[in-house]
Amino acid sequence: MANLPVLSEMFGNLGSRPSTVLYPFVKVPVPEGFRGRVAVDDSRCIGCGKCVQACPASCVEMVKDEREVEVKGRRITRKRRPEVMVFRCIRCGLCEDSCAQDPKAIFLTPAFAGSGPDRRLVVR
Amino acid sequence: MAEVLVPIGPQHPALKEPVSFRVWADGEVIVRLEMDVSYNHRGIEKGAEQRDFHRTLPLLERICGICSHSHTTVFAKGIEALMQVEAPPRARAIRTVVAELERVHSHLLWLGVAAHEVGFNTLFMWTWRDREAVQDVLEALTGNRVNYGINAVGGVRRDWPPDLVSTALDRVAPLGDRVRLYADMVAREKTMLARFTGVGKLTREQVLAYGAVGPTARASGVDYDVRRDDPYLDYARLPWKVITDDHGDVLGRTLVRVGELHESLNMIQVLLRDLPPGEIRAKVPRTAPPGEFLSRYEAPRGELVHFLRTNGTDRAERVDVRTPTMANWTSVAMALRGRWLADIPVIVAAIDPCLSCTSRVSLADPEGRDRGGMTWDELREHGIRFYAEGRHER
Repeated sequence: MANLPVLSEMFGNLGSRPSTVLYPFVKVPVPEGFRGRVAVDDSRCIGCGKCVQACPASCVEMVKDEREVEVKGRRITRKRRPEVMVFRCIRCGLCEDSCAQDPKAIFLTPAFAGSGPDRRLVVR
Repeated sequence: MAEVLVPIGPQHPALKEPVSFRVWADGEVIVRLEMDVSYNHRGIEKGAEQRDFHRTLPLLERICGICSHSHTTVFAKGIEALMQVEAPPRARAIRTVVAELERVHSHLLWLGVAAHEVGFNTLFMWTWRDREAVQDVLEALTGNRVNYGINAVGGVRRDWPPDLVSTALDRVAPLGDRVRLYADMVAREKTMLARFTGVGKLTREQVLAYGAVGPTARASGVDYDVRRDDPYLDYARLPWKVITDDHGDVLGRTLVRVGELHESLNMIQVLLRDLPPGEIRAKVPRTAPPGEFLSRYEAPRGELVHFLRTNGTDRAERVDVRTPTMANWTSVAMALRGRWLADIPVIVAAIDPCLSCTSRVSLADPEGRDRGGMTWDELREHGIRFYAEGRHER
């Protein structure tokens, strides 16, 4: 009788589906708001550099890229744009929190996979 | 019979993390144990002193993969106390929910590991499957399964809409039955009783003398839990009780953890049903005035302490981390004396050791074979030599 909980669990499991999925052949559901791979939308960026200050992994750098942008109804010349070293990124999302633009110019996507050998690979 | 030295680790199939045990045995009986826990030194304390409070949180989160929320909460709570600001009620409730979910997944993980150590791999699979449900809830609520990134100085970073909260409630509710099943199993299964009963016995006096904390201490009848004895977050207003046991052995530690699973699941449900409305983040100043604070927190493995000293700037002058595993090691060495060599995995696993959190400075001589700790004078001399030889520039 002492083994009853184990036996009932075992028989219960006989009729149930496996708990695992055949990744990568099966798509894994990703919840909304998952902090995945970082992305930059250059068309929205005003080059303020707040994301650089916020990044705890120092993986965001501002590079020279002049362009006319509109900020609060005024047209100014943006001097720089961010580049993120994607494999140094720890996906904390502090850059997204610090971005003053709405919608955000730098943000985390739900893409959780992705690895590579190039440490200096950047997203722009 | 002469004593024999049995070296275990730092790399060993039975160990998940590097630690070196030098076990002195008389036949099969352990006479004494020497430990070196310093294989994982990462310089996180120093790193934490070199960046501002907001950028320190993601770093501290990575001290431990299981207690990631514990380390950020204890730090944020300490800095908030130094800044004399308080997180809003909704933020405190959210922090408490994540803290208790973390405890549930940590205890389920431990139960699986303990079962695995005694060869009861079926239970290992079941508890880890249920832990997966908790991880999924955490992922949905915070955006990540391990490094939740929910804490900020002054509150939390993410609010939970009502539909997310109700989904989380639905997923947490069935776990109560599962935990009841495990409680029953722990109390009755022959495999567990044979390997846990009377093993790694520690009396209440020993626990107090060696400063053990958490479930290890509570399993020996020490009625102590920071959540009740130095309340923080929402614990003072929640209905729960401190679980203690007087077996004093690994069975006792298992029963305490299973009991805590019940309490945590209840707390999570009470909080999620009635989350206070309002702001999730208080406005905090950029700097903290000069001061010192000893921030305490009941992590899944026991009392976690961060000593913080601020100096009026936007970064801490000193962050000193005392993890529960650090406090529990002495009790392991004592519990092993007089036991069989075969009991080592169970007794060591019973404190739920986390080595990467615990590692401190260690010396490795690349020229010779000498290896060991460093005294203060040696460290000072090493520092002078290091800079004199210009090795910091290489």
